[in-house]
Amino acid sequence: MNSGLRIIAFCCNWCSYAAADLAGISRLHYPPSVRIIRVMCSGMVHPEMVLHALARGADGVMIIGCHLGECHYIRGNEIALARAEVIAETLEDLGYEPERFQLVWVSSAEPERLVEAFRQMHERLLRLNGLAEQDPAAADGEVLP
Amino acid sequence: MTRVVTIEPVTRIEGHARIHIQLDAAGTVDDARVEITSLRGFEQFVIGRPAEELPRIVSRICGICPWMHHLAAARAVDGCFAVEPPPAGRLLRELCLVLAHIPDKLLHFFFLAAPDFVLGPDCDLRVRNVVGLARQEPELAAQVAHMRRLGQDMLARLGGKAVHPVAGVVGGFSRPLGRDERRQLQADAARLLDFALFALDFARERVLEQCAAADQPGQVTTGFLGTVDEHGNLRLASGRLRLMRPDGRSVDFAAADYGQHLRERSEPWSLAKTVYAESWGEGLSLDPTAPRGVYRVNTLARLNVCDRISTPRAQTELEAFRVRFGRPAQATLLHHWARLIELVYAAERVGELLADDRMLDRDVRTPSVPRAGRGVGHVEAPRGTLIHDYETDERGCITRANMIVGTTHNVAAMNLSVRDAASRLIRDGACDEAIQNRIEMALRAYDP
Amino acid sequence: MKPTFACEWLHSCAGCEIALVDLGEVLLELLARVEIVHFPLLMDNKYSSRAGEGDGMVLPAADLGLVSGGVASEEQRAILLAMRRSCRTLIALGTCATHGGIPALANERSQEAVRAGVFADCGPLPTQVPDCLDRVYAVDELVQPDLCVPGCPPRPETIAAAITAVLDGELPVTPAKSVCETCPARREGRATTRTARRFFDNADGNPDEELGQMRCLLEQGLMCMGPVTAGGCGGSGPPLCVRVRVPCRGCYGPVRAGGNPLLDLMNALAGQGVDRRSVVDRRSLLRFCGAHGLLRSAAGPRSPERFHGGS
Repeated sequence: MNSGLRIIAFCCNWCSYAAADLAGISRLHYPPSVRIIRVMCSGMVHPEMVLHALARGADGVMIIGCHLGECHYIRGNEIALARAEVIAETLEDLGYEPERFQLVWVSSAEPERLVEAFRQMHERLLRLNGLAEQDPAAADGEVLP
Repeated sequence: MTRVVTIEPVTRIEGHARIHIQLDAAGTVDDARVEITSLRGFEQFVIGRPAEELPRIVSRICGICPWMHHLAAARAVDGCFAVEPPPAGRLLRELCLVLAHIPDKLLHFFFLAAPDFVLGPDCDLRVRNVVGLARQEPELAAQVAHMRRLGQDMLARLGGKAVHPVAGVVGGFSRPLGRDERRQLQADAARLLDFALFALDFARERVLEQCAAADQPGQVTTGFLGTVDEHGNLRLASGRLRLMRPDGRSVDFAAADYGQHLRERSEPWSLAKTVYAESWGEGLSLDPTAPRGVYRVNTLARLNVCDRISTPRAQTELEAFRVRFGRPAQATLLHHWARLIELVYAAERVGELLADDRMLDRDVRTPSVPRAGRGVGHVEAPRGTLIHDYETDERGCITRANMIVGTTHNVAAMNLSVRDAASRLIRDGACDEAIQNRIEMALRAYDP
Repeated sequence: MKPTFACEWLHSCAGCEIALVDLGEVLLELLARVEIVHFPLLMDNKYSSRAGEGDGMVLPAADLGLVSGGVASEEQRAILLAMRRSCRTLIALGTCATHGGIPALANERSQEAVRAGVFADCGPLPTQVPDCLDRVYAVDELVQPDLCVPGCPPRPETIAAAITAVLDGELPVTPAKSVCETCPARREGRATTRTARRFFDNADGNPDEELGQMRCLLEQGLMCMGPVTAGGCGGSGPPLCVRVRVPCRGCYGPVRAGGNPLLDLMNALAGQGVDRRSVVDRRSLLRFCGAHGLLRSAAGPRSPERFHGGS
């Protein structure tokens, strides 16, 4: 099912990427709309990267980091949290719906939590974009990749 | 068949305007008006802003007189927050305000107005401008440019920037004056005074007799508004407003009470409002045979309403001016003469202020706390009385702002002057470039 | 044959023209090098034919043209298009032209609402005046200028250098440094306060000591926009506002082309642990660059492409 949605997920190298890796190994499915970009720490994601993604056509952007208190770089995710508030304000200023951005904490042992977050973001964006669950082209009998 | 003549844009003024003239079938003037074609909307987009930021925002109303808006705003925010600057803060503000009149007046008189008189109003338009003036009088032009620059440099040294200053802040001034600084400023101020006196002499020889000639285009009979202190001396930085009727009777009031005397009104053909003297009880009429409610601000008005000028050279000039032209003097082109007398006053006053030792006090700013309030700040800008009226909420953010700028007070009179000029000059529908320029001269005198 | 020179002003305040005139004698030398064909402030060339709003305006051809001010009315758009057509090299002069400037603060509400508010207690809205556009635009949103010279106003020397460079056949390159580059204030790399400080009292520091003894105004909490603002206002000397101990408010526009100074500054503060909620009226930090969709009314369309670096 190809909804045409594109979600950029910045995943920190330590907890989040490990969780994503584990999700893959465990064969947990998540929507193909999610494109993962690995960063060393959630705290290094400049708000502009989020806005750039949205401006270039991403339907939604996520930042995935370690739980507070568990950051590999001690305080990186606290900075990510403070920045997320700035991002939220800026999205409001620029007319983007708040649902298009989300900050999520996971640990490397929580692949289900990660996958669930991806799925929920995907659903939210489908509703936001007014798209049906099924892709209309599928109803035409087209074979989708 | 009626015809419309549009002079667009009006040139050698400090803003955007066009003149619209309606001719009847016989080719005489039926109507003429000055249309202001641009509106930025400061009164609206400052709403919600932290009041202490306003002095730096509203200076952008005008890049020619930014200090006036800057300081009127600072005064208005003082009122909202109920703070009084310490003496040195007040003195520094007044110094900057009066000093800023000087490069402004030099620009207008020499670069914008003088070409019409020195080169001739009918001179080829490719020559009739500052470049033509500089070619004919290279030393004069260089001196004017130099002195203007000197004045601007002094303002930049005092306030950070000459254009769009920043040192006027709620509660006073952003930094105190140093002793060496003051010494240098005094030396520079002396040079400015010398040049101001020279400028008046030059003007007397080459320009002002033309302005004083009888039956010049632009005649209008109006009241006047200006600022005086409690002794009736001309004041630019603060004081009481004096509103004078055409017959010379006047009433003084505090700036905060301006709303009881002046009312603003829109016209369909202009983005500038028209202001009239509502307290005269006669409404507003732009009928050239019987104008009602019309008053003027600017240099001629300030000279008319004041009883005297507190500095010696300017006072001598004022006395001679009054002997010759009476009080109030009405002829529009006399704005140029009055402008030069004010130039001398400003230069003298700058020297007086710099000599006041209180100016060296280190305490230049009273800290303020945001509160809900109202403040009216008023100054005399080169173009006329400037009023900034603000209200704030308990966070100290602007809830309402009303600004009456100098030229707005003159809108009614400028229309009447242009109408008079057009009526006198246009015969049988003939309105060539030279006649158009002479009509513009009636407007240019107001330095709008 | 002297090169021809034209100058127009749109949604402007004349500050850029005054900066030009503030060159003093250098101005007269410059003006003598060119033949001015159109310059409403200084000489009497008029608009020739006008066949209705928005088209038909004809300006004399010029080798070099300066245009100041943003674009907010149909008439201003017509003038700008005419300038682009008639000038071989066109310079967008001043922050209003390059980024919208202070008048673009009006972009937080619609131009209609602004006009209605201005005339609210004075009578009916004027009708025989140029129509306003939906918002205030920067020059490069409507035409392609050859050079942008930001500043509110730009330094006289910078304007002169730009004009001279073009007359000599080049386009000057301005290095992209921030205001902090020439600021002597003492930086310690961390904020002194967790909340933003409004400018109700003068900055900390003894004004009788040299400027380098003063603690960085941003670190003092005064929301100095130096780090996110294009530098050069004081030439190679200290930034002009800082020189009189006043925090920078960004009048030269963003340091990075297409940057969002509010976002960058808030991001930096977030990294320093400063509470973003202590900033009152955060959008007024965009007061100089409200064009390009950076300031928009709540009801307006979503901000388009150019609100940040890239594309």
